[in-house]
Amino acid sequence: MVQTEAAKAPTNVDVLVIDDEESVRESCRHTLDLEGYRTHLAPDGLGGLKLAEETRPRVAVVDLRMPGLSGIEVLERLPAIDARIVPVVITGFGTVDNAVASMKLGAFEFITKPFEPAQLVDAVRRGVARSLGREHAMATAERASAAATAARAPEEPDVILKGLEALSEGYALGLTASNLVEELRQLEAEAKHHAETLGQIKKREKVIGDLVADLRFVDAIIQKHDFRKNALIQILLDIQSKKHWLPRHALMWVSRRLNVPLSRIYEIANFYEAFSLTPQGAHLIQVCLGTACHVRGGPLLLKQVSAVLGIGAGQTDPKGIFTLKSVNCLGCCALAPVVTVDGRYYGNPDLRQLRELFQACEAEVATEVAAS
Amino acid sequence: MTKLNSAKDLAALRERLTTTHKRPDRCVAVCSGTGCLATKAQVCADAFATELQRQGLAGEVELRRTGCYGFCERGPVVVIQPEDVTYLGVKASDAAEIVESTLNQHQVVERLLFKDDHGTRLQHLNDIPFYKYQTRLLLDANTRIDPKRIDDYVANGGYSALSKALFEMKPEEVLAVIKHANLRGRGGGGFPAGTKWETTRKAPGDIKYVLVNADEGDPGAYMDRSLLEGNPHSILEGLIIGAYTIGACEGFIYVRQEYPLAVTNTLIALDQAREYGLLGRNILGSGFDFDVTVHRGAGAFVSGESSALMTAIEGRVGQPRPKYIHTSVKGLFDRPSNLNNVETWANVPLIVNRGSDWFRSMGTENSKGTKIFSLVGKVVNTGLVEVPMGITLRDIVYKIGGGIRGNKKFKAVQTGGPSGGFLPESLLDLPVDFDDLWNNGSMMGSGGMIVLDEDNCMVDSARFYIDFLAHEGCGVCVPCREGLRQSLHILNNIVAGKGREGDIELLEELCDLLTNASRCALGTSASFPVMAALKHYRDEFEAHIRDKRCPARVCADLIQYEIDQQKCVGCPLCAKSCPTKAIHGTPKKPYSIEQSLCIKCGACHQVCPAKVQAVLKVPALAPRATTVS
Ligand SMILES: Cc1cc2nc3c(=O)[nH]c(=O)nc-3n(C[C@H](O)[C@H](O)[C@H](O)COP(=O)(O)O)c2cc1C
Ligand code: FES
Repeated sequence: MVQTEAAKAPTNVDVLVIDDEESVRESCRHTLDLEGYRTHLAPDGLGGLKLAEETRPRVAVVDLRMPGLSGIEVLERLPAIDARIVPVVITGFGTVDNAVASMKLGAFEFITKPFEPAQLVDAVRRGVARSLGREHAMATAERASAAATAARAPEEPDVILKGLEALSEGYALGLTASNLVEELRQLEAEAKHHAETLGQIKKREKVIGDLVADLRFVDAIIQKHDFRKNALIQILLDIQSKKHWLPRHALMWVSRRLNVPLSRIYEIANFYEAFSLTPQGAHLIQVCLGTACHVRGGPLLLKQVSAVLGIGAGQTDPKGIFTLKSVNCLGCCALAPVVTVDGRYYGNPDLRQLRELFQACEAEVATEVAAS
Repeated sequence: MTKLNSAKDLAALRERLTTTHKRPDRCVAVCSGTGCLATKAQVCADAFATELQRQGLAGEVELRRTGCYGFCERGPVVVIQPEDVTYLGVKASDAAEIVESTLNQHQVVERLLFKDDHGTRLQHLNDIPFYKYQTRLLLDANTRIDPKRIDDYVANGGYSALSKALFEMKPEEVLAVIKHANLRGRGGGGFPAGTKWETTRKAPGDIKYVLVNADEGDPGAYMDRSLLEGNPHSILEGLIIGAYTIGACEGFIYVRQEYPLAVTNTLIALDQAREYGLLGRNILGSGFDFDVTVHRGAGAFVSGESSALMTAIEGRVGQPRPKYIHTSVKGLFDRPSNLNNVETWANVPLIVNRGSDWFRSMGTENSKGTKIFSLVGKVVNTGLVEVPMGITLRDIVYKIGGGIRGNKKFKAVQTGGPSGGFLPESLLDLPVDFDDLWNNGSMMGSGGMIVLDEDNCMVDSARFYIDFLAHEGCGVCVPCREGLRQSLHILNNIVAGKGREGDIELLEELCDLLTNASRCALGTSASFPVMAALKHYRDEFEAHIRDKRCPARVCADLIQYEIDQQKCVGCPLCAKSCPTKAIHGTPKKPYSIEQSLCIKCGACHQVCPAKVQAVLKVPALAPRATTVS
């Protein structure tokens, strides 16, 4: 999908190459000219920025190590000149740190020297496609925010779509326009679905607000882990611990931001006990079925709790109040059998005590619903 | 905190902490391990803080929230220092009295002391039988330090082993000490740590890793949690010494996320160690660089296996790899990596400090030092116990554990977690020793020790482990996946009263397959619980299969609950507790159970007063036709 979009990207556009090595500059020009791009060359950072002002290129190919203004500094200043310029970084030192730093500054592609002409052409072509996508998103965002101020009727069908399109600009998604729209449609369907099933969220604007907040939140987590792919499980744990489940839109976002396939994320989310892929109730009840709890009647306790709550292990009640889970050892084996209610531990609780706790949970949810 | 730039700086700090900056001798130590927190230790400690303030003792008496004392079932445990008066089951409402009597008037609050079999109240921690027969080398510090304060650890001699290793010993010398001590891995296998270290040390490559396995997947065990929560620096110190010996530049602590307090305390410990220059660049000015990252495990028993653990740290699904090449040579990111269990690492500073001969003085021929067990199940005193190797199982169960609760009969003790076996009464005199346990169809394992009594069904228990493993395995290799699935199917049938002649033999065949053809140790040892159960308790299997009877009255499809009309006094307790409203009757007259509504959850059986015991478990008239997949 990305490939075909990129393949269609026009080549009669401006491309800027900033590199202190003359041989590299010249070979870039040669390669890009052959493809039909209008190539501009600059031998240093300051000169490059000036040229960017003048020519407004779609793509800027930037060397990281240069005397004077460094590549990183150029990356920092480019967005101020024109947010549509997509930087492609080249360097002789392909370290992870460099890559992370430049990716954070919006670098789209990272090429290490020496590179093949085809690599450069491919990066530039995709960069151009992205620049166009960005332009499109910015335009839509402007229209959307204009529309938003013009107090539309709340029924307007595309409201979520537009809101998210506006958002996409802020996040500078690495997507082509059509890809983006498709993804946003999925988000919209998802948001509507939740609004209906949970029956809690009435206003669609609130749904958008929540989604935006979610994605911001996910982004903050990814940033905390320095965009490292190795940290994938840790990132998912952080999301799970805050949201108590892994919403699809969050996973899609992680997939895009880390550039790992969504299938791999789902593989991990399915494999480990810690993750849930469905929304969880407001209160989490865990019954331990570890060995120590098993020999002291854990399975009986689970039957009792399950009968009281009316849901089986692994289920959430229709009102979204409780999620019941069975777990293998909570590390409190001496107190077996162990139950936790919202992370608080109860050793060998009697059913009456648990019933009271559950009632308190229900009352809490009821007051919250009444308040909103 | 100022950075320590030499061994001298560290010694000076310790000097300060034990003289001029010494904390008050008098102290109220409140156990704040997860077990005690479950019994409301937090509110209890807060109440002490208020009381100390109110009674004007706040400056003189310190309130210390320590790690786990081990006697979790009797928590919250509170110890008054320096008198060493130990109170059990302390409530927030007891704080005022304790501060008033014990701290102000030096009087003991009798009713909160441990009462022994003869009714004598025991004052001191080490008088209590639960503690008296232990040798607490690793757990002892838990009672003296606040795990969130590195200064407590340093004041108690912490990091002196690291300083000794860095400045007085060459890496080869440290290695020689660990090898001579014959420290064997505490995570299950009992592989000699020194040999493993040496392999990684000698493996080619500049970048090497050391790792701590705190995944603690063994259900029913929590030794590692307790150490990491209660004394994280001891593990860290061991790890740094290991890194120095092996030549590793980076370390990882893989801890399961179900242990939030352990994660928190470890992260605090790392930060504090870094601030003191005990971690990071140029540790204590020695020129040695080393740092550590915490990686949370997302649950899945198989992730505790060495190669699976390393794949998980790489951010992928934690599945074991076939071990043509050992992880010691090619592990995390394909670099030489040395993985040891939490408890193994915690032993290292002790050995470096006190020498290998001291360590060898404890234990048996081939198992040295101590081992921590999570003594749980049907014993009177459950909790964490640290015992010298060589002690008999009988001593642990009866002397430390106080025997079986409720005058019931002992049936089995299970060690080694899902990879271990059941040991019957006749084997209770076995010493705790890696090889002896192994030769008798069980294993040391990481330290779970579950005691079963006559009310536990052995078929159900064997089924429990197979069920656990069938769900927790990674499913990659066929012998393990299918072997476990089929075994589970057969066992499910047997407990449902649908066992057939020949099932036992079929199980034995499957066990053979599992042991011989699986990829990793999860599969190869998965058959142990079943084989041990079949060996020692075959009659129970036969009763289930031939007579459709569960002798221990556990298997739900083979029993039903009934109310003895003669004994029932007509109190409504059972009817009130029943979650499905299956119990009918009017107060003061005998109640009865409507079998078609009964889900056999046992709630009525549990609430029926001990004096009455009118709710009975009797053999089911006909096995219910529940479907078992
Ligand atoms: C299925 C499986 C699960 C394991 N789980 C753990 C565990 O939770 N904790 C642990 O320390 N070792 C576990 N081990 C053992 C480790 O693979 C490894 O041998 C051990 O961590 C090495 O440390 P040690 O030599 O200090 O014991 C497990 C092994 C297998 C096969
Ligand atoms: S077995 Fe239930 S807490 Fe450990």
